[in-house]
Amino acid sequence: MATVQEPLARTTQPETEEENSWRFDVFGRWPLLKRLVRMRSFQFALILPNLALFYFFLITGLFGTPVGNRNMIIVFVWILWWVVLIAGLMPLGSRVWCTMCPLPFAGDWLQRRAVIGVRSGKSPGTENRFFGLQKRWPKKLSNIWLQNFGFLFLATFSALLVTRPIVSVALFAAMIIIAAGMALVFRLRTFCNYVCPISGFLSLYAMTSTLELRSSDKNECLKCKTKSCIRGSDKGWACPWNVYMGKLDRNNYCGLCFECVKSCPNDNISLYARPFATSDYMIKGFDEVWKASIMLVLAFSYSVVLLSPWGVFKDWANISEKHLWSGFGAYAAGQMLLALIVFPGLYYLAIRLAKWYSSANAVSVREMFLAYSYMLVPMGLLAWIAFSIPLIMVNGSYIISVVSDPLGWGMNLFGTADFPWTPFKPDWVPALQVGVLLVGLYYSLRGLYRVASKVLPDPAQRNRSLVPPAALLLGITLVFLKLFIG
Amino acid sequence: MTKKIFSAEMAGVASIVVMLLAFPLSLWYWHSAYVPGQYPPGSRIIRLTAVAENGLWTQDRVIGYSYWWKKPSRVSEIRLVQGQHVVLLLHSPDVQHSISIPELRIGPVPIPAGHTVAVEFTPSSAGELNFMCVQVCGRDHSKLAGRFIVEPSKTAGRDPGLHASRLGGAIW
Repeated sequence: MATVQEPLARTTQPETEEENSWRFDVFGRWPLLKRLVRMRSFQFALILPNLALFYFFLITGLFGTPVGNRNMIIVFVWILWWVVLIAGLMPLGSRVWCTMCPLPFAGDWLQRRAVIGVRSGKSPGTENRFFGLQKRWPKKLSNIWLQNFGFLFLATFSALLVTRPIVSVALFAAMIIIAAGMALVFRLRTFCNYVCPISGFLSLYAMTSTLELRSSDKNECLKCKTKSCIRGSDKGWACPWNVYMGKLDRNNYCGLCFECVKSCPNDNISLYARPFATSDYMIKGFDEVWKASIMLVLAFSYSVVLLSPWGVFKDWANISEKHLWSGFGAYAAGQMLLALIVFPGLYYLAIRLAKWYSSANAVSVREMFLAYSYMLVPMGLLAWIAFSIPLIMVNGSYIISVVSDPLGWGMNLFGTADFPWTPFKPDWVPALQVGVLLVGLYYSLRGLYRVASKVLPDPAQRNRSLVPPAALLLGITLVFLKLFIG
Repeated sequence: MTKKIFSAEMAGVASIVVMLLAFPLSLWYWHSAYVPGQYPPGSRIIRLTAVAENGLWTQDRVIGYSYWWKKPSRVSEIRLVQGQHVVLLLHSPDVQHSISIPELRIGPVPIPAGHTVAVEFTPSSAGELNFMCVQVCGRDHSKLAGRFIVEPSKTAGRDPGLHASRLGGAIW
């Protein structure tokens, strides 16, 4: 029926008792929330404050002090926003950041010529009137490889990004412009789906989230003639993420815009709460495996550069001040090599060993490589959270001073402009990091066991196949522990 | 679109327009009207930025968009008028500096990186006042100096000597 690109998601319903243990219908429990979500102005009401904030961040980045820890764009984006995103919104709210993200707003506006309302009509594959060229995104690029390389590239220059306000301004301005340009040329939100470097890791870690948007009854979707969730209607826009709810079984590519909740003629879509990291286990492509690898390696690399006692790496990464070009080259090349070749190679080796040791002839290495890679997801997310703990506990006090003087111009809006840098319980940081890492290890091992049980039904084969990847997980944990507690 | 949605649409667009205008206008007001209003009428407000690289005081704006590529011009001399109240708004865009005006017994007043601090004084006699950074801030620290040339006021009476009227810390 739908002529738009094939949806990326696959289908499963909760399969185990564990998944169902406390899974509940959020809209069913809180009908008021459903009423809010169904309001046309719901998403706009969430975007507007973020739009205002990010607009103000751009102003502070352009016209405020160049000193990073005294400029709002640096302190609010790379300390507050980052920590809230990775440690709060992501694990608890799936891609709820995408619901309120202001970056594609201009593009949406150009494409829809509406900020709140819906236009009925005909555009390719939809029941809505869209503007722009409405081209199809190339099939070869319908994956997250661009996001992988984009994020890795940005991460290479992260020392600049998190210290120089103008670099952050340039990044966000570029993202807004690219998103708007793409919205004028391509259908729906191709920028968010295939280009946005933030969206890439959100898609991966959304798998672990305690929130999911799903159809209540998949059979109802199969019977549905209109497919309004993906095609749109006079009540809601066609899914900007090009997801058909009848097949949606993972959080990865659902941006929680809730248009489908508005447009579904059968009232068959709801928000569900579920236990952490116990539902979406299927990694479906090598692009996602490499995303998991890149994220884990970057958590390691950032920890080395920013938290470890080896200052030489910080000097190498900090090219704008130290100008050590050979060191920066070594750092950049090392990081890319580690993320794209060395770590995936180690993981591949573990899978080869797992296949050999388990004597599982019915399963190919490829299948195992894809399926078992889920183990890198909870570990990666929790490693990032562990890395982010000192960000907020040690440097969080900058927020208090910057909120009073966002540009370093000498304002004192709330009387806290001179609040000194005051680390909060810094002696607790290593203990918290260890705890978080161990939680990551637990969920990774559990996920590994679960995917292995699906791939290899024979318990003996399954158990033997677990040994090498579990050893790799333990090794990763020990490396992080060494970094965090010495 | 229904009438209700159309009204919401218009309200949405209006809120964006208001937002786009509100921030720049508020900042412009703060910079151009609110700050001068905090000081006695007729005060001369001088914005000075201390830059560690090449050791210079400048009246150019060393801010987010400009510090990257613009070479700030050095200010070595600033002319003042005897008896006119002066407010120095001092900013550091790099490291901690500290200003001193020995003839007025002002300072050292620390200027932490990214902060703006205010120093006020009224030169009550003609002459020269040196100002300098008194915290080692880099290899060009010694160049971070300048002077105020205080010109006699035509309306000035007897000369009571130079004095600092008030020393400000972080402002407001």
